[in-house]
Amino acid sequence: MKKSKSFTILSYAVIFVLLILYIAPLILVLNVSLKSYPEYLMNPIGLVKEIQWSNYVDAWTEGNFANYFINSMIYTVVATVLTIIVSVLGAFPVARGYVKWSGFIYLFFLLSQFLPNPMVSQYKLMLSLRENLDFFGYDTKLGYIILKTSGTGVVFMLFVGYIKSISRDLDEAAGMDGSGYMRYLFQMIMPLMKPVIATGVILTAIGIWNDFVGPIMYLPSKVNYPITFGLKEFKGQYGNNWPLLACGITLVAAPLMVLYSFIQKYLVDGALAGAVKS
Amino acid sequence: MYPFGKGMARYVPLLLLLIPFALYVVFYFGPSVLTVIYSFTDVKNIPGSPVKFVGLDNYYDVFFSGNSGERWRSITNTLIFMVVVTIVQNGAALFIAVLINQRLRGDNFYRAVFFMPVVLGVSVVSLIWGMMFDPLSGPVNMLYEWLFGYKDMFFASFTHAFGYIIFVQIWMYMGYSMLIFLSGLQSVPKDLYEAGYIDGTTKWQSFRHITFPLIASSFTVNMLLSIIGAMSTFDIILATTDGRFNTRTMAYDVYKETFRGSLEMGLPSALSVVQFLMILVFVVVAVKQMRKREVEY
Repeated sequence: MKKSKSFTILSYAVIFVLLILYIAPLILVLNVSLKSYPEYLMNPIGLVKEIQWSNYVDAWTEGNFANYFINSMIYTVVATVLTIIVSVLGAFPVARGYVKWSGFIYLFFLLSQFLPNPMVSQYKLMLSLRENLDFFGYDTKLGYIILKTSGTGVVFMLFVGYIKSISRDLDEAAGMDGSGYMRYLFQMIMPLMKPVIATGVILTAIGIWNDFVGPIMYLPSKVNYPITFGLKEFKGQYGNNWPLLACGITLVAAPLMVLYSFIQKYLVDGALAGAVKS
Repeated sequence: MYPFGKGMARYVPLLLLLIPFALYVVFYFGPSVLTVIYSFTDVKNIPGSPVKFVGLDNYYDVFFSGNSGERWRSITNTLIFMVVVTIVQNGAALFIAVLINQRLRGDNFYRAVFFMPVVLGVSVVSLIWGMMFDPLSGPVNMLYEWLFGYKDMFFASFTHAFGYIIFVQIWMYMGYSMLIFLSGLQSVPKDLYEAGYIDGTTKWQSFRHITFPLIASSFTVNMLLSIIGAMSTFDIILATTDGRFNTRTMAYDVYKETFRGSLEMGLPSALSVVQFLMILVFVVVAVKQMRKREVEY
């Protein structure tokens, strides 16, 4: 099919304008993060004249980011690993029909995507759990991690679909050789599920790392703040000191951006899979 | 036939399945059902306080209690938010997906850039735009002054703050919708366009009569995601204005009343149920409309 040249040029022009809309804010943040506060006040958008690397050191120590970063890592890694394991434990028997009413269980789990907002009584539940247990529930790391661990979401559905494509003969063969259920699941099935597990890990990890409302509701103590909440508090403290805040933004965003550039391909596939399946 | 042992060993899968089942029932399904029940009671956020049924009182209060003027504004805001986000986000996403799908050079790079805000997350995105929209030193205000000789208060403006929140929401999730449209577009067989070209269709006709019907299923997915997303997210409001300057929506109200309001939990529960019913109505209407347009090839 013939393409009109003017249309192609117009397309590039539109895309170019949009790219500016998406990239310019990031460049601005980097630029401001290197300015001293007086220079920023004098000239907020011009190119930086004297580069102040010390801003980053200040932001890192003042913002207590080391601590928040470790917390975020703990939440993301533990809850993601748990989510993957729990989803496999749910998805495998349902996909294979090794439990009774597996069709019904699948629908019941699917319902999780359409339920009324559980926030109100979830909050009450977390409070009363903490009331009775010292280490679990409201304002505990463990409570937040367990709340974020789910074996019934999009990841579960992705897994069910994928497991159905793995041959059942493999189960029989492993059973004949006397393999137990657990061993089969972890040593045979999970290695075969690598691509879909990669997708699941990315979807879950981004969701937890970027969770904004959850920590505000369930992690009010400073020792438990993840990095998103830390950044919010940092903004509260430094109001309009944009050079320092820009350093904070960069410190929080940089690890994600680096990771994103590596896993971009999987991420795009994963996002699609998640959206189309749900 | 279950291949992993006999007797008690047959119950191992069931026992392990109980872990996700219990997590789901305790932390999501249970609270969800309880919220519906709470909406008919005067339950308070005090452990051990007596609970009694109050019928539809909470629902009455949602719409007609003391500060009901603000509630109606939240409801209007929610509807505006949903309609504008759904239309503009999907419109822009479809347009850009069609542009990128012509195999422009660097299309992977464009995809990655437009999807990036989702990766950055709400806390980073809201701060970036807080900086862009800073009334004193932000570049957008300088642009406004240079172009129109006019300055805005952005997130601190009673009349405009909500509009800017909608903009940031669309900026953040447009790339997501675009990806879904792109995957739909890539599944359209190329020979259909060639057949159309031989028959002398214009670009618009081939889009309207070939592309559009064939990507209708991506359209449905996108509509559902934006409707449900726009009706139930409030993190961007929390992160930018925290509900001030006339930017509250129903989802934000549920959060606010549960978490920082009174100890009454009946009212926010009733509000959650109303929100759920509204989502349900819009989703059903949207799905019915879209299903009509879907075709197979």
